[in-house]
Amino acid sequence: MDSVLRVSWKELVQVFRDRKLVFSTLILPVLLMPVLMFGPTLLLERVVQKTAEKRQEVAVAGVPEEALKALEEAHLVPVPVQDPEALVREGRYPAGIAYQDGVYRVYARLSGGITEGQVVAGKVQNALQSLKERKVAEALAQRGVPLEVLSPFRVEAVDTATEREKASGLLGFLLPFFLVIFILSGGQVVAVDATAGEKEKGTLEALLTAPVPLFHLALGKTLAAVAMALLSGVAGLSGLALGGAWARRFAPDLLAQGGAALGGQVVVDGGSLLGLFLSAFLLALLMGAVMVALGLYARSFKEAQSYLAPLQLLAILPLLFLQFRGLVEVPSWTSLLPIVNVALLMDALFKGTATPSMALFTWGSTLLYALLALLGAVRVFAREEVVFRN
Amino acid sequence: MIEVVGLTKVYRTQKAVQDLSFQVNPGEVYALLGPNGAGKTTTLRVLATLVRPTAGTARVGGLDVGREPIRVRRKLGLVNGGMRVYDRLTGREVLEFFAGFYGLKGKAFQEALDWVAGFLSLEETLDKRVMEMSTGMRQKIVIARAILHRPPVLLLDEATAGLDIFARRALLDFVKAYRDLGNAILYSTHVMSEAEEVADRVGFLHRGRLVYEASKEEALALGEGSLERAFVRTIREAA
Repeated sequence: MDSVLRVSWKELVQVFRDRKLVFSTLILPVLLMPVLMFGPTLLLERVVQKTAEKRQEVAVAGVPEEALKALEEAHLVPVPVQDPEALVREGRYPAGIAYQDGVYRVYARLSGGITEGQVVAGKVQNALQSLKERKVAEALAQRGVPLEVLSPFRVEAVDTATEREKASGLLGFLLPFFLVIFILSGGQVVAVDATAGEKEKGTLEALLTAPVPLFHLALGKTLAAVAMALLSGVAGLSGLALGGAWARRFAPDLLAQGGAALGGQVVVDGGSLLGLFLSAFLLALLMGAVMVALGLYARSFKEAQSYLAPLQLLAILPLLFLQFRGLVEVPSWTSLLPIVNVALLMDALFKGTATPSMALFTWGSTLLYALLALLGAVRVFAREEVVFRN
Repeated sequence: MIEVVGLTKVYRTQKAVQDLSFQVNPGEVYALLGPNGAGKTTTLRVLATLVRPTAGTARVGGLDVGREPIRVRRKLGLVNGGMRVYDRLTGREVLEFFAGFYGLKGKAFQEALDWVAGFLSLEETLDKRVMEMSTGMRQKIVIARAILHRPPVLLLDEATAGLDIFARRALLDFVKAYRDLGNAILYSTHVMSEAEEVADRVGFLHRGRLVYEASKEEALALGEGSLERAFVRTIREAA
C-alpha cells in the first residue's frame, strides 16, 4: 500500500504545483458555476420583467374602441396601420392586432427563443382576455345570471411528492449531472498527466524500473485521479451552493420566479450524504481507472485527450435522458448500467427515495466495473509495445 | 553479475536481438557498441525487466529477469539518454520518492542521500525544482535516482545524449568511479570515443547479433588505436 500511496502523492504534488491547472480545475468551477446555473435565469427574468413593464407600440387594424382602451390600460400604445402582419414581419412593431369577423389575430415573431415580440404578444392576449371576461360578466349580469355559472366546479392538482422531493426539484437531476461532468474533467487532468504525460516527458521508464508490481503503479495513478475528480466535484458543487446563496441574498424575488425551474434547495440527511459520497467515489474510481487505461494506451498527451473527449460525451449522453425519468418507468436493470446507475441513485438519494437494493446493486456493479477497468489498466501497462510505442 | 545466454527478442516480425550472449563481471565496464537500431536498447530493456525476452535467458545478480523481475530491479539501476525525472518536484523529493520503493526511509534515506549527493556533487541543487536545473544537473538527478539504492549493476543506454561537454565529462568520470566501487556497468553507446575512455571490455552489436567481443586493448589493437576503425573493419568482414 505504501508504494500505491507514494505514486498517488507524487501525481497530486505534480498537479498541485501547476497553478494554471489548479485554477482551471478547482477554482474556475467555483467561479463559473453560479454564473452558469443562475446567471441566465436571473438575467432572463429581469429582461422579461423590464420588457413587460415598458410601454410598447403595437400595430392595429380594425380594432374596436373598447379593445384599444384595454390595450392602453395594459401599457401598450396602439398605432393604426393598414397591414399589421407585414409591419411585424418587417420588424417595425414587436406585435400587431387585426380584428375581422369577430376574430382578433395577434401577430408576433413567436419562434427563435424568448423575444420582445413574445412578451408583447402575451401582454396583448392578456388584455384581450380581460376584456372578454369583462364583457361576458356584463352580458350575464344583464340577463340576471350569476357569474358562478361559468365555474360550476374547481379542479385542484395536489402534489403528493414528499417535502424533500419537492425541495430537490430539477436539482435532483442537475446535481448528479454536473457531479459526473466535474468528476470526469477533474480526473482527466491527473489521468492524462500521469500516463501519456509521463510517456511524453520521458519519466515513465524510470518509474517502471522501480521494484513495484504494475498493479500498484496503476492503482496509485488511479487513486490520484480519483482524489482530483472528487475535489473537482466538491469545487463544482461549492460553486453551485455559493451561486444559490448569492442569488437568495441579492435577487430573492427573481429567484422565486425564475429559480423555481431549478428546484428549491436540496436537503439531505447524514446517511444520504454518506451514500452520495460513496457513489461519487465509486464513480470516480471507475472513470479514473478507465482514463488511466486509455491514457497509458495513448502515445502522447494529445492522443490521450482525443480518446478522453469522446469518453466524456459517452458518459454524459445517457445522463441527458434522466430528465425523462419521471415520464417512464425506470426498469430495475438500470441499477447495473454504468454511470447511469450512479446518477439515478444520486437523484434518489437527493429525493430520499433510494432503496437498499438499488444502492447495493449500484455500488456493487460500479465497484466491479472499476476493478475490471483497473485490471484493464494493468494489462495495458504490462504490454511493452504499448508502453514503448511513443 | 550480468549473464546473457542466447538472448533473442522479436517484435512481431522484426528480430531486434538474435542469439546474444555475453557477461559483465563486478568491477567491469562492458561497452555494448553499435549504430542506431543494432539492438542495444532492446538488450538493456530486457535486462531492466521492461521487455520480456522471446528466447534465451538473462540474469542479473544470479536472478532471472523474466522470472523474478521485482527482485532483479532491486539489483540494478537504469539510465538512458531520454530519461527524465519529475520537473515540478525538487531533486530531494524525486530521490525520496524513488528511495521509498527500495525501503529507504527516514535515516536510511538520509544516509543514502548524503552518499549520492557527495558522490555526484549534488548538495547545492537538491532543493531546487528539477525544472529550474541545468541539463547537466538534471542528468545528475537521473543518475542519482538510479544508484541511490547502490545497485551492483548499472545499465547506461546512450546516457550522454544531449549533454553539454561538462555534463558529459562528469558522467564519464562517474562511470569510472562507480565501476571502481566494484559494480558491474553495461555501457551502451554509438560514440566510440566514450567507450575508449571508460570500457574494460567491448562488444560490437550489428543487426541484433554480437559480431565481436574482446578486451578494450585487443579491440584497439584491431583498429590500430581506434575503436571506430575496429568496429567498421569487423562489420565489413562480417558482411
